[in-house]
Amino acid sequence: MSIVDSMLAGLALVANFESFLALGAGVAIGVIGGAIPGLSATMAVALTLPFTFAMSPITGILLLLGVYKGGVFGGSIPAILIKTPGSPASSATVIDGYPMAENGQAGKALGMALWASCTADLISNLSLILFAGWLASFALSFGPPEFFALILFSLTIIAGVSGDSLLKGALSAMLGLMLATVGLDLVYGTNRFTFGNPNMMGGLNFIAVLIGLFAIPEIIAMVWNPKAHDGNTRSLGRNWVTFQDYRKCFRSIVRGSFIGVFLGSIPGIGAAPSAFLSYSEARRKSPNRENFGKGEIEGVAASEAGNNGVAGATLIPLLALGVPGDVITAIIMGAFMVHGLQPGPMMFVLNVDIIYGLFIGLIVSSVFLFAIGSIAIRGFKYVADIPRGVLLPAVLVLCIFGVYAVNNNLFDVGVMFAMGWVGFVMLRYEVPAAPFLIAFILGPLLEDNFRQAMLMSGSNPVILFRGPITWFFWALTTITVVAIARAGLRASRGSVLAGDPK
Amino acid sequence: MNDRAGKIQLGIGAIVAAVLFVAVVIPNFVSAPSNVPNVILSPRFWPNAIALFTGLTGIGLLLTALRHPEDERETPVDVDHRGMALLRLSGVAMVMLATVYAMPRLGLVWTTMVAFIAVAFLVRTHHPVSAVISAVAIPLLLYAFFAHVAGVAIPQGEIVRLP
Repeated sequence: MSIVDSMLAGLALVANFESFLALGAGVAIGVIGGAIPGLSATMAVALTLPFTFAMSPITGILLLLGVYKGGVFGGSIPAILIKTPGSPASSATVIDGYPMAENGQAGKALGMALWASCTADLISNLSLILFAGWLASFALSFGPPEFFALILFSLTIIAGVSGDSLLKGALSAMLGLMLATVGLDLVYGTNRFTFGNPNMMGGLNFIAVLIGLFAIPEIIAMVWNPKAHDGNTRSLGRNWVTFQDYRKCFRSIVRGSFIGVFLGSIPGIGAAPSAFLSYSEARRKSPNRENFGKGEIEGVAASEAGNNGVAGATLIPLLALGVPGDVITAIIMGAFMVHGLQPGPMMFVLNVDIIYGLFIGLIVSSVFLFAIGSIAIRGFKYVADIPRGVLLPAVLVLCIFGVYAVNNNLFDVGVMFAMGWVGFVMLRYEVPAAPFLIAFILGPLLEDNFRQAMLMSGSNPVILFRGPITWFFWALTTITVVAIARAGLRASRGSVLAGDPK
Repeated sequence: MNDRAGKIQLGIGAIVAAVLFVAVVIPNFVSAPSNVPNVILSPRFWPNAIALFTGLTGIGLLLTALRHPEDERETPVDVDHRGMALLRLSGVAMVMLATVYAMPRLGLVWTTMVAFIAVAFLVRTHHPVSAVISAVAIPLLLYAFFAHVAGVAIPQGEIVRLP
């Protein structure tokens, strides 16, 4: 199939009212979810997932991608207006966005955030289209040892960069891997940790684990310390962003977008470091660098470009290699699996129409983001006014219905609650949840590839180092572990020398 | 609790869990056929390997905490009355337990209505009227969507059945 045929097949799949409605609705849900402090884009995607079961695969995945894109931008709205980032990725936006709001330029800051987000989103989507196919064709030559080394590398980097400690991240990943072994053994079909319960033979439901880990701990945390959100919204001011402002910031936006694309395509890095790197680069290169931190519009543009540049690029490892780049793409990977699709290089061979349909949908999502984002900026006051004491019980009810709907099984609701307590304990001990979830998803894949490699080699572990591709991933894994461990040691030594407890 | 104490607790927890898994849980709850040609291919190999690495991670956490006794960073106190907070936590645990047990008997809609009100009470909502209205409206709307649009068989219970 030529590229034109593939594009036409993709267009045939998405060129209908239902797909565009799902995409638009997704962006709107995402913007609202991202804009509500305490809800976050991740929770918005997780809570939307059960609603996609009744949809066709492409419509459901477009809905989730819309929520993802909208959620990343939505986080910047409370960051600018009430100094409360809707997601960690928007933390850099606070630095200049909030001072602008205090100076009566909230409308201008939000407008620039939207323009920068849409530009970065478009660049990120184009990068995805350009690189995912190339990477997938390369990955077609991967065998079980190569996939094992790749997944191990992804888990290492996700465990290392998700929290403030490599060891806590590793512990989280180990728990996720152990939980993934529940069910029937992949080769012999014998029971593992099923405790005689037939509900556990198929393994624990991914969505129950996901919602349990990410939504329920927020509710428990609010019960632990119920404090009403005390931020006040402010007027947008009469000052709006102009094309002249956009032109002035264009270099920083493009630079930030490419930083986002580069960091987003590496599994585990995520949007927050990208936003901060883009911001610091913009400050370093800007002639107005002394104005950064006091309400510089270029600072808002750079940080928003940095965090939105990641949004398309995190799909590169997901679609091309079947490895999620962050928690949200892990949820989207779950949606693929619920609909009977396995992301990875073979998807570019077996479901090329869906791949190109998604590409087209992603490009259109940038346009929707611009339109819906413009409306959302004006409507934020109503969204921010939803009391958390009503919102979080509503989230609980949504979680119960959503998790039940996956398999029509009340057992899954119990699993969700149990995982909620695990997530709450992890939250209290500052153990990051992302490595847990990604290890839970990739665990069966890691074990399967390991055992296939062992079967191929007659249980000789040397096969795991059989060629340049495996060497490359092993080297990256080693470098990652050494770099993160060194950074951790240096940080703790520095804090001890400074006499300042970390 | 400070960061160091947290790491020590996590480290000890991980080591204890690893030992329990290797000595008790895996031998008793992972079945392996007797004719497996190589230990690496056994269904027990992977859980044992994970348990081993969990134990090593626990040792690492413990060593890190013990090597830096100066690192006594206090976790910010986030609740004024710890006793009340623990009481509320037990309350939400009871709500969850009761939800799981009540769902087959009362049905999903009625159970979630009660759970909504209970959680709103536990988080000390400042908007009780909105909470009660939402507690009735949201489960009904979700029921309408899942039962009539998505075609999911929502448990109705034995008391009041919805159309």
